Amino acid sequence: MELIIDGKTCKANPGDSILNVARREGIAIPTLCYHEAFGGQGSCRLCTVEVTAGGRSRLVASCTYPVSEGIEVKTSTPAVEKIRRNIIMMLYKRASGSVLMQKLYREYGCSENSLGEKEEERCIVCRLCVLACEKMGTSAISTVMRGIDKRVGTPYDQAATACIGCAACAHICPTGAIEVLDSGNTRTIWNKNFNLINCERCGQPFATREQIDHVSRLSGIEDAELCFCEECRRKKLVGKMQGFSPC
Amino acid sequence: MTTMNKSLIHLLLVCCGTGCVANGAREVYQALKDNLTSDDKAVLAATTSARATGCHGLCAQGPFVRILPEDITYCRVKAADIPEIVEKTLKQGEVVKRLLFRDRQKKTLVQGQNDIPFYQRQTRVALRNVGLIDPSSLQDYLERGGYRTLEKSLLDMRPEQVIEEIIKSGLRGRGGGGFPTGLKWKACAATPAQPRYIICNGDEGDPGAFMDESIMEGDPHSVLEGMIIAAYAVGASNGFIYVRDEYAQSVASLRKAIEEAENHGFLGENILGSALSFNIEIVRGGGAFVCGEETALIASIEGNVGEPRDKYVFPSEKGLWGQPTIINNVETWANIPVIMERGASWFTSLGTEGSKGTKVFSLVGKVANTGLVEVPMGTTLREIIFDIGGGVPKGRSFKAVQTGGPSGGCIPSELLDLKVDFDSLSQAGSMMGSGGLIVMDDRTCMVEVVRYYLSFLAGESCGKCVPCREGIKCLLEILTRICHGQGEIGDIALLEDIAETMQQASLCALGRTASNPVLSTLRYFREEYLEHIEGQRCPAGICRELSEFWIDPVICTGCGLCLPRCPVEGIKGEKKQAHWIESDKCIRCGECIDSCSFQAIKVK
Repeated sequence: MELIIDGKTCKANPGDSILNVARREGIAIPTLCYHEAFGGQGSCRLCTVEVTAGGRSRLVASCTYPVSEGIEVKTSTPAVEKIRRNIIMMLYKRASGSVLMQKLYREYGCSENSLGEKEEERCIVCRLCVLACEKMGTSAISTVMRGIDKRVGTPYDQAATACIGCAACAHICPTGAIEVLDSGNTRTIWNKNFNLINCERCGQPFATREQIDHVSRLSGIEDAELCFCEECRRKKLVGKMQGFSPC
Repeated sequence: MTTMNKSLIHLLLVCCGTGCVANGAREVYQALKDNLTSDDKAVLAATTSARATGCHGLCAQGPFVRILPEDITYCRVKAADIPEIVEKTLKQGEVVKRLLFRDRQKKTLVQGQNDIPFYQRQTRVALRNVGLIDPSSLQDYLERGGYRTLEKSLLDMRPEQVIEEIIKSGLRGRGGGGFPTGLKWKACAATPAQPRYIICNGDEGDPGAFMDESIMEGDPHSVLEGMIIAAYAVGASNGFIYVRDEYAQSVASLRKAIEEAENHGFLGENILGSALSFNIEIVRGGGAFVCGEETALIASIEGNVGEPRDKYVFPSEKGLWGQPTIINNVETWANIPVIMERGASWFTSLGTEGSKGTKVFSLVGKVANTGLVEVPMGTTLREIIFDIGGGVPKGRSFKAVQTGGPSGGCIPSELLDLKVDFDSLSQAGSMMGSGGLIVMDDRTCMVEVVRYYLSFLAGESCGKCVPCREGIKCLLEILTRICHGQGEIGDIALLEDIAETMQQASLCALGRTASNPVLSTLRYFREEYLEHIEGQRCPAGICRELSEFWIDPVICTGCGLCLPRCPVEGIKGEKKQAHWIESDKCIRCGECIDSCSFQAIKVK
């Protein structure tokens, strides 16, 4: 099927979201809660665009809006820009401790106003961490509470038995809100302490025992094969491939 | 005033709706049963029966005992009154005058329910059986014509004819959205995927609203019948009734009704000998307001966190477990059998151009006759609040009415002649919602009221999308500041700016409407905001930091009523002499204003 984004005719498949198509076509739409690994959540609403379908225009979240034949999309109108500016303003007020939010606040030219600021907070509740944890097959963290008190946490804020200390949550977090403290052979994350094991090759601490066990169990790869840090794993692979020529 | 005809068979209807049960209705019913069956009154037992019914509607006057066929209605009955009712009315044929309804405007006693002004202007369609039948008795429902239309639909009509009839009736969803019910069904039937599901939304969460509760409690079979007819129309095999956890009596009533319907072949395999097989299951919600939103409700039934999803594809195509699903509110379901029975053209004769039929409202707040009222769409607010509701009590004046629950809007006295329907309320900046009407008098601070609604929504939003979660937080912060006398000039523009983004960009209807209270009060009561911010004064005398009270010596009679009500002994004065308030002691609680019969206490 075909649709028009910012005047450009684009090809799309049924089931595509507007955001998918726009990204393929190199048309930029800003997002905060979107990651290609998980698909659209429709929660940050920064990707709001204006869609005209059947003669009627409305503002929709491009990450969840399924394309249909002949729709026309405008990714930047005064109404859309105003919404984005207000979203950034409100998120900055919540998480002004985050470098990303400080940067966006300046970029979007948000005006100073009388809303109070909380300096410490960095989390914008985009939930990418929760989705990453779920994808890892652990689901040690989730959103807790509701309404304006919604936040991410472990069950009852205790050290979660399900947590394997992989820190996938911290890696994916766009605002650096999740603290991972690696000190010597100890990692502390979500109120839980882990022992880090050393790389078989270079001896650097690189992963938790629980993480290696979890990956081994899910992938069926022997523990011994996994006990290399990222750098050494790459070198090992290159070594293996040296005797192999595709030509 | 007529007396009783002792030779007739009498039916005594005792209101056992949740409100009356809280006021001792079960004890009243038990006392009545005991009195009727005791040995020396065996004759009476043969000619009289008592029935525990659902809500009679005029909750301010309950518990009720209504005697048919004469229609003698006793109000505020206590168990201790029963021996007198039995002795005087049932045995001697005399009316107990002290228990009759007192019409304060006409200063008369009213004997029959149908003569009470509260009931006279109502048209009971969705509530047609509530208050008349014993909800636990299938027999009672059948006697009122129940399940006859199911039979007619199932055996004499094709599914598309049923859908066509509902489309023609113009019925719009009573849960708040006002989406045409028939079109929803048609879309579901047109989606090829199987299985399909039917859901009844009984998660009524608006503070002060209880119309759905009264139907589930008082006439559960009408809901079941509506759902079974829809199951036939769209080819669904399973139904779910999602009831909020607080409604224990509704759950009990529905459970019993489902059991009875199954035993009599109205539910289960091959219903009434047809090819239709359909089951209904009750799901108890956890009490989250947002689960009244249909996609959040669906998520909740699926066992997930009750959070909405974007509805760019409607549940009628992709709903429960990704399957085509019809989800309608309790009141909508209760309308289905009667539309099928009396026909679409009868239904369209009620109501306005764009909103057909009737609507049940829960009339609460500062109004004399609080309760449930059902009126044709297009009835004016004035008729509902003043003619049916009896106006604002204690000689206070009407200030505003909040329609549509916490995310509805506040409508001022200038618009009292507004004909209430889906479209007129939206145009006035409010909404129908599920039909809550909260009346406010001149002792209501509009800024404080809006702050209250926002604090409710702050706890009840799911918190998933940014405009709703952060928007509510910002609005609440600004409103709280204004109520504490720390408002700034730019605050009104900021409120409007954030409110607009919430309306346009929020994920679900909760977020999109959450700013309605703010926007509607800024439209109609802007002066009051300015008084708070610039004048540093709360005209209603509610916001403590901005209120100062004084007693007008010309009006004060020195009656002394306010003296004992003041918790800090801050009112001084001799009897029959004008009193005064010691301002350094006053904690601005407003108890004195509410106790004064002469409105002598003023806000500076």
